[in-house]
Amino acid sequence: MSQINDPKVAFAYLRPACVLLTKEPTVANVETLGEQLKEIHDASLQQLQEYVLFPLRFVLKVPQLKKEKLVQAVAEALSYVLEKTCVQSWDTLHDLFSELCLCLCSPTDPGKPADLSEELKSALLRCLDALLHAAYGDIVFKLYEPIMLPGLGAAVSLLLALGEKEKSREVQAAALRCLQSLILHCDCTQEHVIPSSDERCSVGSTMASFLPGIAMAVSRIITGNLRQGHAVTVRAIKVWCGSVGLVMEDAQLQSSKACETPSQELGRIGQLVVQRAPEWVKSTAGKLSVLLKKIISCTSAHRHWRVRLEMVELADHLLVACSQSLRECVGLLLEALVGAVNDEEPKVRESRSSDGTSQILADVLSENLHSLATSLPRLMRTSNDQKKLFVLKVFLGYFKVLGPLVSVVLNSAAHLERISKALMQVLELDVVDVRIVEERSHGESLERSSGSVGSYAAHIPQKHFLYFTDEKIFSVLMEICRTLGFYGNIYLLTDHFLDLYRQSLVYRKQAAMVLNEMVRGAAGLAMATGAQCLDSGVQGPSASQEDLKVAAVSIMEEYTSLTNWNLITTCEETDGDRQDQQVTLFSQVWRCSLNSNIWQLCIQLEGLACLAQALGRDFRPLLMTSLYPVLEKAGEETLLVNQAALNSMMCISQACGYSSLKELINDNSDYLLNDISLNLQRLSQHPQAPRVLTVMLAHSDSSLLPLIRDVVQDVLMALDLSYNHSAALFCSVLHALMKALARWFPVSRCRTGGSARSKTSTDDFNCRQFLLDYQKQKDLAEGVGIEVDDTEDLEVPPASEGEDAEDICGPDEKSELPSHLIITKEVAERCVHLLSDPRLQLRLKVLEVLELCVYVLSERENELLPMAHRCWPVLRQRLTADDPLAVLRAFRVLCTLGEACGDFLRRRVSKEVLPRLTSSLTRQAPVSAKAGPVYTHTLAYKLQLAVLQGLGSLCQRLDLGEADLDAVCEACLPYLSCRQPVRLQEACLSVFQHLIQVDPDTFWFTLNELHCPCSYTPPHPDLPPIQLSGMGRPRDEYSDNVLKLLREEFGLCDGSVC
Amino acid sequence: MSLPAPHPIYTLRGAGGALNTLHFRCHGEDPHLLFSGSGKGSIHIWNLNSRRAEKVVEAHSGSSVTWVSTLQSTDTLISQGRDMQVCLWDLNEGRSELLESVWTGSVGFCQCSLLETSPTNYLLAFAAQQTEEIKIIELPSKNPVCTLTPKAKVGMVMCIKLWKTNSGLGPLLLAGYEDGSLLLWDVTQRAKLSQVRAHPEPVMCLTFDPRRLRGISGSSEKKLSSWTLDSQNNIQLQDDVTLVNPGVSQLCIREDGRILASAGWDDRVRIFSWKTLRPLAVLQYHTDMVLSVAFSDHQDPRQRLLAAGSKDQRISLWSIYNDGAGKG
Repeated sequence: MSQINDPKVAFAYLRPACVLLTKEPTVANVETLGEQLKEIHDASLQQLQEYVLFPLRFVLKVPQLKKEKLVQAVAEALSYVLEKTCVQSWDTLHDLFSELCLCLCSPTDPGKPADLSEELKSALLRCLDALLHAAYGDIVFKLYEPIMLPGLGAAVSLLLALGEKEKSREVQAAALRCLQSLILHCDCTQEHVIPSSDERCSVGSTMASFLPGIAMAVSRIITGNLRQGHAVTVRAIKVWCGSVGLVMEDAQLQSSKACETPSQELGRIGQLVVQRAPEWVKSTAGKLSVLLKKIISCTSAHRHWRVRLEMVELADHLLVACSQSLRECVGLLLEALVGAVNDEEPKVRESRSSDGTSQILADVLSENLHSLATSLPRLMRTSNDQKKLFVLKVFLGYFKVLGPLVSVVLNSAAHLERISKALMQVLELDVVDVRIVEERSHGESLERSSGSVGSYAAHIPQKHFLYFTDEKIFSVLMEICRTLGFYGNIYLLTDHFLDLYRQSLVYRKQAAMVLNEMVRGAAGLAMATGAQCLDSGVQGPSASQEDLKVAAVSIMEEYTSLTNWNLITTCEETDGDRQDQQVTLFSQVWRCSLNSNIWQLCIQLEGLACLAQALGRDFRPLLMTSLYPVLEKAGEETLLVNQAALNSMMCISQACGYSSLKELINDNSDYLLNDISLNLQRLSQHPQAPRVLTVMLAHSDSSLLPLIRDVVQDVLMALDLSYNHSAALFCSVLHALMKALARWFPVSRCRTGGSARSKTSTDDFNCRQFLLDYQKQKDLAEGVGIEVDDTEDLEVPPASEGEDAEDICGPDEKSELPSHLIITKEVAERCVHLLSDPRLQLRLKVLEVLELCVYVLSERENELLPMAHRCWPVLRQRLTADDPLAVLRAFRVLCTLGEACGDFLRRRVSKEVLPRLTSSLTRQAPVSAKAGPVYTHTLAYKLQLAVLQGLGSLCQRLDLGEADLDAVCEACLPYLSCRQPVRLQEACLSVFQHLIQVDPDTFWFTLNELHCPCSYTPPHPDLPPIQLSGMGRPRDEYSDNVLKLLREEFGLCDGSVC
Repeated sequence: MSLPAPHPIYTLRGAGGALNTLHFRCHGEDPHLLFSGSGKGSIHIWNLNSRRAEKVVEAHSGSSVTWVSTLQSTDTLISQGRDMQVCLWDLNEGRSELLESVWTGSVGFCQCSLLETSPTNYLLAFAAQQTEEIKIIELPSKNPVCTLTPKAKVGMVMCIKLWKTNSGLGPLLLAGYEDGSLLLWDVTQRAKLSQVRAHPEPVMCLTFDPRRLRGISGSSEKKLSSWTLDSQNNIQLQDDVTLVNPGVSQLCIREDGRILASAGWDDRVRIFSWKTLRPLAVLQYHTDMVLSVAFSDHQDPRQRLLAAGSKDQRISLWSIYNDGAGKG
């Protein structure tokens, strides 16, 4: 719809409505006029402004007409006109202003708002705002002339009252917006009159009269109701900022006009005028700083980011405009700003842009920093997490704002001392958790982690602090440390914190934490560097790579020095005598110190990882000294330390550019082995050396072998020298070694797997061939076919000659034996000695090692058999006269031996071991048959089970004679009973399965003797009928298992008859 | 004497053979190097900063390397092997190229001796084809300088040391022989200056301190024999040092003339005061015969290391008596 552009047409168009309105002031008429106004073009409306305004103002003026609806409609129409046009005449402005104020205020008290509807109020306020915006530049300043003071004062107090007391948020906001317009601090998008400095000064002088009122009331609004919504708070902050900024502006106060005495003509009004003399400024600033403090404390941690943003703008504005007059408040304002530097909301963080306030602030900032550092520990103890977080953010903000100046500030010993002490106190760890000491790693973690590097890393120990629990607080603290390192002088800081580290046990962990993060910061890691510092030209950390390396070396040396690294973390000694309460009390203290040690180690391990991250590939030369200590801790039993060390290894290998832990260890095995070999020679000072070897072995592969060989020699020599003291320790190394060898050189089982699948041939059973064979065997047994035998004997020698030939060149070839086999032989030799050690634990361990030795050696029979021979006497002792646990383990070794050596051990087993085993089985059978479910947890059961599980294959491998098989069968038969525990039955079935493979006929007969499900009719009537003792027996405890065996092994089904 | 026994600061492993000879080169800014020659014919060049073999030169086609040295002036490595060759290698810019080789014809174990007469010329003395003959040639021209053959029967040449006197005389040569004799030769005159029977057994090794005109020699027995040269260039036998176990493979005097190290067949390195020949320390680490010892020529006396190479295929590095360096 096109608008009416011609003023004359417009006049004609509007005239009837205006006239009607004047005559009959009704809502309908006002609305009609309002509608018509919308069709007039702005330029025409400007010309007709006075004319149009008249009827509207008339309505407002006539008191008896003041019905709310009507006034509201008028106000809306007025607003429309004012928004579209300018007010050029002072009278119009003045009159309208006072009329609108009058409408708003209560008839009795001009300073109090009238009891009107919210809609009306907001319409009137909108109208007022429009009026203030519409006023022409040359007339608007007349409003602020001293003569206007009373009216203006009434308006201000009215608006304040509306802003403060009103319930509706819109009205509050509208009132505050009006105030903003009034103090020339409007933030809307419309064009505003830009005052000259003189004009601004006069406005300032006028508003100075109202400053106390405005500042007080607005700060009440800001700090008042938390639920009032952020929009109101934001507006209020704007008003506060605008009014203070206007009145206290440095530029105005410095010019002489600020304190001109009012002219005498004003009379009583003159008393209202404030002279902004220096004393006044000072006292006002004092009062304002009190208010400001309140406001900041209430808003800086406000939940809504807009409020925080507004606060930053306030601080920024005031710092720029009034840093002289509000000198007392500069600190507060800076704090607010600095706190915002680390706001979570990026908009707030980035909003800080003031660049005028640079160098002069450095002093103030460092002063503030000092006092904050002083009060930090107290604040951390007393306040809640929210507040702590803010305080720390401020702390961090100072560093960020100071930027490169940090190093200058830290040159002051007092500052450095304060800051470091504050950090020390804040970062104090809580070390009373019981689990830290109690948790043990059990070796598996080593292997597990070696398998899957990626999936690991999850278990990072959580630190507990005395003074806070929030993870955010910790991360801010760490960022503080990083920022320190980033901007500070790395030498100075390293020196200082290392001093603290050495100074007292109390500070040690904290200092280490600070150092760790500092170094990372110095390398520019995990640093969000923005243009937040005062001197934003500097990019990148202050320390060069060379400096960093020097610092890293000194930190590492301190961490890994004997006294700081070899801390006691386990309390084996105290385990025994923990009886009475005194001991418990003692152990409480003891535990704390152990925990503390554990944490210290963890932090130091993390530290090494941080150093590696900071240096990247430059850390590689440092691996010479650092990798060994880390591995030493990776072999530690305490879970936390163990995990921390593994994490650290992971980090180091990443930082140094290795693709995996294995690569890290393989590439640096020479460094590690050097230390291991040296330390093995002084085992008393370095008892950890074997552990490092264990870890190495667990994480590397066979490429390590050539290097490791002489170290193994060292280990064995060290073991030989100290059988009594450290045999247990060495045994674990040997175990790890053999495990590694078994993993690196898996034995091909082709030699052992080939035999004994004779069962297939029984399928097509050839009766004739069988009889022929039988005849031949019989002849042989009677000595008929001796010649044949001779030829067979003759056939053998060539083969043995070949073996001899091998033996002849043996001495030379012996050195050609793969080194892993040489090592294994040596280890096995030690096992033979250690097997008779009085310590049960050690014997068990040695048996495990021996089993692995047998496994590895099993590929070379020439080496294995002598070894088996050597270890047989001791092994027999273990099998026959030892603790059941050892018997169990020894039996397993025997099974492996049987598996590997075949019939070599037949005679020994059948003579020396088998009788005992069978007799113990027979003895235990009735016990286990009667026992309850708890029995499965006893050692006797485990022994039974192990023997039954291994016996079958042992018999088969050793190729035992008939008598022995009978004995075994005899002993095992009771276990076929369904009264035995299920697993024993299963194990027994497996024995029979093996036995059946050795001699199917015998055991078919044996089983049928026990239970025969079907009758057999002879194929020819001449043959006597078959009578088996198991025939026709009723079902008993054995029938199920016997049937099962017959069915599975002989393909017998119940109904079938042969 | 209450100090605990020192430990090696580091051990270099992976040489893969017995270590017959060691040689440091620590002057200059380059990474400081240690050269080792192994019984398997390879020369390892160890970087002392990273403590790793920087390069392995397969020098004498598998025959044992008996001696390595470098020239001060250029990046040249000289090695002697049991394949009867002395080879010169160019090590410039990470290369390892064979420059020259000299056939010695000696089947013995006698190590060569090198004397740099000027930045470009140097003399090399070595045992020659005849068992008691010593040849001296000039390098790099390969011109033979002289051949020294003793008139008396002294047996095979066991060890030689070539040095230049401060007096006007030309280079002198000390040689130890199989029958335990020590002979002093004047190279320019090609004449024997002095002879003395220092040991009843073959002279296994000798070393000489040209500043004090004093030397010491070792043998397969329990005794080290020290001697001096008087003004007439006569060898004068002095004190003996009795060892605990017999057999010394090498002797070495530190550049500052304060201590002497011996590589013992008893797996130990022994340190003596060079002035008084008082035993100072026994360095025990190796598990087999120690075959060679060497002191580093580092500019900073505090960083001068001792290296010992053993039949157990390891090199041990020791930092000993370095603290009071500079004091008398």
